[in-house]
Amino acid sequence: MIEYLFLLLGEAIMVFGALGILRFPDVYTRLHAATKCDTGGAMNILIALAIYADTSTLIKLKFLVLAFLIAMINPMVSHAIARGAYKYGIKPEVVVDMYAWDNP
Amino acid sequence: MSRISFYLKERIKEIRHRVLLESYEAQKLPKWERIVLTWMMLFIFWIIVSSSIVLENLLIGGLATLIISSFMYNMLTDDIRHSGHLVEKIFYIVFFYMPQYIFIMIFRIIESNFKVAKHAVLMDINPGIVKIKTDLHSDTGITILANSITLTPGTLTLDVDRKLGEAYLYVHWIDVKTLNREKAGESIKGDIEEWLKKVFW
Repeated sequence: MIEYLFLLLGEAIMVFGALGILRFPDVYTRLHAATKCDTGGAMNILIALAIYADTSTLIKLKFLVLAFLIAMINPMVSHAIARGAYKYGIKPEVVVDMYAWDNP
Repeated sequence: MSRISFYLKERIKEIRHRVLLESYEAQKLPKWERIVLTWMMLFIFWIIVSSSIVLENLLIGGLATLIISSFMYNMLTDDIRHSGHLVEKIFYIVFFYMPQYIFIMIFRIIESNFKVAKHAVLMDINPGIVKIKTDLHSDTGITILANSITLTPGTLTLDVDRKLGEAYLYVHWIDVKTLNREKAGESIKGDIEEWLKKVFW
């Protein structure tokens, strides 16, 4: 029964992440929505699969290894995209920009 | 007069750098402990990925991971803080530090998901890029801290800057509350840095 709870939570997080990607103004704020909601949603769905799957324990542990790899790789990729966008010259819509103060 | 003060300043800087490097060298683990730690990590990974506990499989995996870890011991365990005996260290890391970190991060990820949903619906954003200072020096520690900052609510790491043994992080904050560096660092890093200081250098 509890796996449906995890599955619904993951899908709700994914829907709100997509809404955030559509509504936020620039690259950096959209990356917020993409990174966090993808990580949380995919991890919830993988935990639901690990509870629901009808296999042995060692194969269920593979899902948890996959969740761990997603949680490690996803923030690195978002950091690479944000830094690349800044180096390419896309200005963020911000109130204060200390990165531009130190790298003129 | 002015030249003397310049000379003294450079000299103090040099001595500080050397003390930092020497304390770093003294805190490194001995070689066989590093090999054992790397071998344990790789062997657990092998068992989970191959997902069979037949004797031949365990023998082949143990031998292959032992060969790999005897060459690659520098990559994983270069930055772990030196304290106590090996068994004690493994016990502490597996049973105390890892569950603490996972417990903290689970609640921070759930909180950040709900916060992004709230921002997407209400659009009450006030973004800005702030600079904070960390007390960590090692590569692995700074990497894990930056990843954790990206997963905690409302923040995204842009870049890392290292000058004279001090590391600074540039963080894109979706709802800027303060520009003071200490207060911003406290509310961004939270208790993750306290945890990382126990394990990494």
